[in-house]
Amino acid sequence: MCRRFAGLACVLLLLSLPAEAARVAESLVRIQATSQDPNYRAPWSAGEVAGGVGAGFIIAGNRIMTNAHVVSNARFLAVSKEGDPKPYPARVFHIAHDCDLALLTVDNPNFFTNTAALHFGGIPAIESTVSVYGYPIGGDRLSVTRGIVSRIDFQTYTHSGVDSHLAVQIDAAINPGNSGGPVLQEGKVVGVAFQGYSGDVAQNVGYMIPTPVIQRFLKDVEDGHYDRYMDLTIAYHPLHNPAMRRALGLTDGDSGVFVGSVYGGGVSEGRLRPGDVLLAIDGLPIASDGTVTMDGAPVEMAEVVERKFKGEKVDFKVLRDGKEIIVTIPLTHAWPFSLQAQAYNEKPRFVVFGGLVFQPVDANFMAEHNPDDLRLHFYFDNFISRNIYREREEIVVLSNVLADPVNAYASEFRYEIVDKINGKKIQRIDDVAAAFKTPADYYVIDMVGKGRPLVLERKAVEEARDRITARYQVTSHENLQK
Amino acid sequence: MRISAAFLWLVLAVPVVVRGEAALPREPLTAVGSVSSSSLVRVNSTNQAFDFFRPWTKKAPFLRRGLGVVLQGGQILVTAELVANRTYVELEKAGSGEKSPAEIVVVDYDCNLALLRPTDLTFLKEAKPVSLDSGASVGDKASILQLESNGLIADTPGVITTITVAGYPLDHLALLTYRISAPLQNREGSFTIPAIRDGRLLGLLMRYDSRTQTADVIAAPVISHFLDDAKLATYPGFPRAGLVFAATRDPQFRRYIGLKEDGVYITEIRPGSAAEKSGLRKGDVILAVGGKPVDPDGNYEEPGIGKIPFSHITNTLAHVGDTVNFSILREGKRETIPVTLTSVRDEQSISDAYEFDRQPRYLILGGVVFRELSRAYLQEWGGNWMKDAPQRLVYLDAFQNELPPDRGKIVFLSQVFPTPNTLGYENLEHLVVTKVNGVPIKSLDDLAKAAKSTKDGFLKIEFDEDPSFIYLDASDNEKSRTQLMQDYGIPALENLEPITK
Repeated sequence: MCRRFAGLACVLLLLSLPAEAARVAESLVRIQATSQDPNYRAPWSAGEVAGGVGAGFIIAGNRIMTNAHVVSNARFLAVSKEGDPKPYPARVFHIAHDCDLALLTVDNPNFFTNTAALHFGGIPAIESTVSVYGYPIGGDRLSVTRGIVSRIDFQTYTHSGVDSHLAVQIDAAINPGNSGGPVLQEGKVVGVAFQGYSGDVAQNVGYMIPTPVIQRFLKDVEDGHYDRYMDLTIAYHPLHNPAMRRALGLTDGDSGVFVGSVYGGGVSEGRLRPGDVLLAIDGLPIASDGTVTMDGAPVEMAEVVERKFKGEKVDFKVLRDGKEIIVTIPLTHAWPFSLQAQAYNEKPRFVVFGGLVFQPVDANFMAEHNPDDLRLHFYFDNFISRNIYREREEIVVLSNVLADPVNAYASEFRYEIVDKINGKKIQRIDDVAAAFKTPADYYVIDMVGKGRPLVLERKAVEEARDRITARYQVTSHENLQK
Repeated sequence: MRISAAFLWLVLAVPVVVRGEAALPREPLTAVGSVSSSSLVRVNSTNQAFDFFRPWTKKAPFLRRGLGVVLQGGQILVTAELVANRTYVELEKAGSGEKSPAEIVVVDYDCNLALLRPTDLTFLKEAKPVSLDSGASVGDKASILQLESNGLIADTPGVITTITVAGYPLDHLALLTYRISAPLQNREGSFTIPAIRDGRLLGLLMRYDSRTQTADVIAAPVISHFLDDAKLATYPGFPRAGLVFAATRDPQFRRYIGLKEDGVYITEIRPGSAAEKSGLRKGDVILAVGGKPVDPDGNYEEPGIGKIPFSHITNTLAHVGDTVNFSILREGKRETIPVTLTSVRDEQSISDAYEFDRQPRYLILGGVVFRELSRAYLQEWGGNWMKDAPQRLVYLDAFQNELPPDRGKIVFLSQVFPTPNTLGYENLEHLVVTKVNGVPIKSLDDLAKAAKSTKDGFLKIEFDEDPSFIYLDASDNEKSRTQLMQDYGIPALENLEPITK
């Protein structure tokens, strides 16, 4: 089997890389994931079970590297090696949703016998050739495709949908099942295949996670815990406009970017201000398009922060009110208001009261419900950009009405945002649970922008509780834990 | 929640259906058109709208054709939609094809009606005027009249299935509507089609759904209101109270507010409206309007029609300046609040619901284009504008009543022409302006004024979102005016004509 595979690969790789293919066969892992995606429409139910296939590869320390999206929401993982018929149960060791990487481990030590760990290389040069290994469209046998490096730049990682990191675009075919597979050049891993476009959007465009992102992940988890990427939580803009430069006290050079917004709850709050001009980061001069020169190449200024870890700091040279000052920003914690990111391995949080289902709004909720409500969409889309998070930590909505006499007139309030219950401001779903546990004759629910409250009588709700539980098989009336 | 007055454009599907009231004491009248083509006149209107993305230019002209109804006094009634943004309107006799230019007597986009007259007063000498029939009931038959190309009448019989108060297509006002079920065929001139009974006018079609074969018709009582007002020296426009209410069917809600009677709960008072001036408040329960008891859904019994929303009383039966008594329950006590109705035209809106027959206001400073928010601007994104237009602006338009009453107009940076002055600003668009050189901006006039006083030669333009501000060089703005106009073919860098309705 092993020989047959190697022969096949040789044909494909035209004898140039026989050593590479043989080595990959000892490292490549086929991952069969059984996942259970939570049901945000019936949040008390366990969710639907689905299966999927992805790739992974063995790295030093008997670990298997793959994409986070291959093993997200997994309930059971089985891994198998080329040439070994036996699937082995595996488990997630570390997972990083913000950079779509995961490390798996296999408890059975036999799994790692006759395997070889792959080692990492650097960033491949533009136009150099790379090979992609994996199990595209789910086949049992290794597949390899080859292409060149087309582009290296920042890309949105679609797994979370909000994080952007360095990514390498290659023109080798990358299809579902390639995910998590290694991309090799001269026997070293230069990336992890992770996303691409469907053929009707763009042809021959696939992306891999390059080694700086991989190495950062491996370093972050060295302490046994993944701390996520650090973020300055500011918006900054190029400073090309001559009037803008003069007004801010800059010469007609080409340095500096302009801070447009500083987000609350982030590490820069109270340290940077809108209107500040950032001249240098950690001593590296910032060009007016927001790039700095690292390792001889211009890269986004954000790359400096990308490479840092929790507990480290960044020094900015800032021009403020015509004076140059140094501002030090300790990278102490990750930005807390990530509701626009797709979340995984989380249980939906909810409260059911009188057949009314209350849920906090996040990307998962919006994807599942896709409500047609203008205000809700606005609050969700602008939660950060319009500072809505300063007013409420979470957007809590009446997400569904389990029809019952107690809520016969509540349907018009569906997808409205809960503002107050019995006069108490609702900051998060926990506040809803607490409000309904506080004894009162009437529960008066004020919605944002609604001229009249939704009113429930305690007595009516209590009478309805068992009825609703039985009729809708609501197995639990609240979950406040992610 | 049922919405009586404000923002009905959102909820066209809501109005109450009065099908249940079809049990009428009399036989439905037989539908005999008995209107000859001499009572009808073709109206050809060449219209040309401003391009809301390039407000210094107009779009290509286009022709709309409709069928006007000749009224007493030689005037012709058509829908306002037919003549919106008109550049030239002509009348054409059905049989002979003889033509005459026409002028507008009154146009009112709120009720979607317009009155025309021929410039040649002898043109309609032989025409037979038609009078109004305001007595239609559900179940009555009607004739919908179109003209064949040879000038003969095409008469499609139909039945009035519903009479209700519904949103009119050009504006947010809700007025009496007849819904007629009739299998209409497509003829040219569909922008005004009369509905007739026994030789008298029931109304004018304002929309037709060919799938369900239902026509929505501007009802005779609305036309009658319009014609009465058109006789006045100054046309006052339609009145409304300016409030939004919710039904009070929910027993738990009724017990919570201690309500034992029928009525509706006021959820919103439109800023600057007649309701606000009269002292009506959010939370008041309306028990009766003009002496007519209101049910928990907001309907009252109109003789001959049945149950319809009470806004028919305030918006159509009454005229601007009339006082209508609202019987209300406030904190458990009955009170009567007289509401003196004001015109929809006099209400100050932050974002206007429509803009016809006038050039949109704009101001260009050094290549940066500033506008005032209006729904017409958003509708330039097409039929799906509520999803496709910039969501921030759609939101501000939709929820403008929640903004502070002194908010003024919403001035925003709509686009940037790339010039040496705007280098680096090319991608800015749809940013709401808050201040210029520290002065709050509540209109384009504020902006024009603030732009004249510079600070160290700069204009600091502040936005309420990222990026918080930009600077422009005032002297560069001045110097670049001619170049900008030449390069981009802009005839004028501003239109600050005040809006008159």
